[in-house]
Amino acid sequence: MEKFIALSPSTTKALLVAQMSIKLPINILIYGEQGVGKKVFAKTILPNIYDFEAVELERLLKNKTIELNNYKMIIVYNIDNIINKKEFFNYLKNIKIIATASQNYTDTLNIFAVKIEIEPLKNRIEDLNSLKQYYIKKAKNLYNTEEDINDIPIDLTLNAISLKQSIFKNILLKSITKTDIQDILQEFILKELQKGNIKTYKDFIDFFEKPLLNAAKIKYKSQLQMAKELQINRVTLRKKLSKMEEL
Amino acid sequence: MTLEFYKGLVEYDLNPFILFNNNGKIIEFNTEAEFLLNYASSNELYNLAINNAPKTFGFEHKYLSLKYGKLSYYAILIGYLDDETIGLKLYQEVDKTNKIKKIDNLQEINIFHLIDISKTTTFLNSKIKITEIYDISIPELKLNIDNFLLTLNELFSLYTTSTNLTIEVYIKIGVYEIINKKKHSIIVIQLKSDFIPKDITKLEQQASKSHINTFIIDNIIKLEFPMIL
Repeated sequence: MEKFIALSPSTTKALLVAQMSIKLPINILIYGEQGVGKKVFAKTILPNIYDFEAVELERLLKNKTIELNNYKMIIVYNIDNIINKKEFFNYLKNIKIIATASQNYTDTLNIFAVKIEIEPLKNRIEDLNSLKQYYIKKAKNLYNTEEDINDIPIDLTLNAISLKQSIFKNILLKSITKTDIQDILQEFILKELQKGNIKTYKDFIDFFEKPLLNAAKIKYKSQLQMAKELQINRVTLRKKLSKMEEL
Repeated sequence: MTLEFYKGLVEYDLNPFILFNNNGKIIEFNTEAEFLLNYASSNELYNLAINNAPKTFGFEHKYLSLKYGKLSYYAILIGYLDDETIGLKLYQEVDKTNKIKKIDNLQEINIFHLIDISKTTTFLNSKIKITEIYDISIPELKLNIDNFLLTLNELFSLYTTSTNLTIEVYIKIGVYEIINKKKHSIIVIQLKSDFIPKDITKLEQQASKSHINTFIIDNIIKLEFPMIL
């Protein structure tokens, strides 16, 4: 099971306060942006407790297909999605609830005496660095690569979700072989031919030319050098580059 | 009827009465006014009288909502018959709610533990500078933990935009509350900051569920509740 990484000051305090609150007869709300680790946080503080998606639990409660006496404490994810909150929490009034919710959730019924906010990853530098290394290690194992990958661009728009996606995507791109690219292109071209989107040899030139020219632009300092190294006429290169920029 | 009789009516009235001279100095006041003067300055009350006085000689009622410490008033009467003196009477609000104290779901707990939880979660991502002055001799006491934490959350949330906060917790000296014929000391949680919270209605509503009294005096908010052991 994944454990919540709490190395930043705010998450260290959050984890501590959660552990202090666990034994009290109160409900706990863990809230924050998408991908900040609310679910992992809840499972870290209570690893052996039954957990439910709020929508699913609401359905079970309405259909009376759950025996509540079997539970003293439960974890409920995404309580924003509950349709009738009053009825839902009334069913669970004798059970200790640890719930997760979005940043904008308002506890109008005062169900939760302890509300713990998990900050966005961009504000938790220590957690971010540790989580980045964790995903890099996992991605390297998966794609079986030993490349130095510390300077890859990361995306934090959806916190850990987009961080993981950007790392895996970048490592996949770095570990890809010539044969992999040929296979991918073959697959893609075949699909396009079958759909009839692209027909002629000229139509396909863009696919090869654009990445080639982009990569050369990064490697070489000037168009002059690019033309020399790629052994292409300078006027032709300029035309191709301006056409590419227009697109 | 004698003048003594009228004086008695004023003296034993449940509403405070104060007579000022034209310099704002108090000449006479009744017993209730003595309590009021613990929470409001004579200058403040003189200004209240002057600002609401009738245009000409005579008496005038005004319906205003006033709060001084734990004292609340719904109206005032101002009167003057010459240029020498002006009288002010304040009409106390009467709480008609059931005052029988029944506090349920009590559990023994260290209040500093609860203060720590509420304070930490409320100011988790804040840079507020907090000074804590605690009387650590306060023993574990019986509280409704859920309601108490919700009250503390309301209290601390008033200061989320503040840069500094002093939290003091102590036992009020010489004051007791009687519940079920038993005498209980009073615990005070006092918050002081440069920032003055304007609206404490939500705090008062939540606090009343736990039978906690709320007071706001200048930049200080106090929660007072019985120490049930």
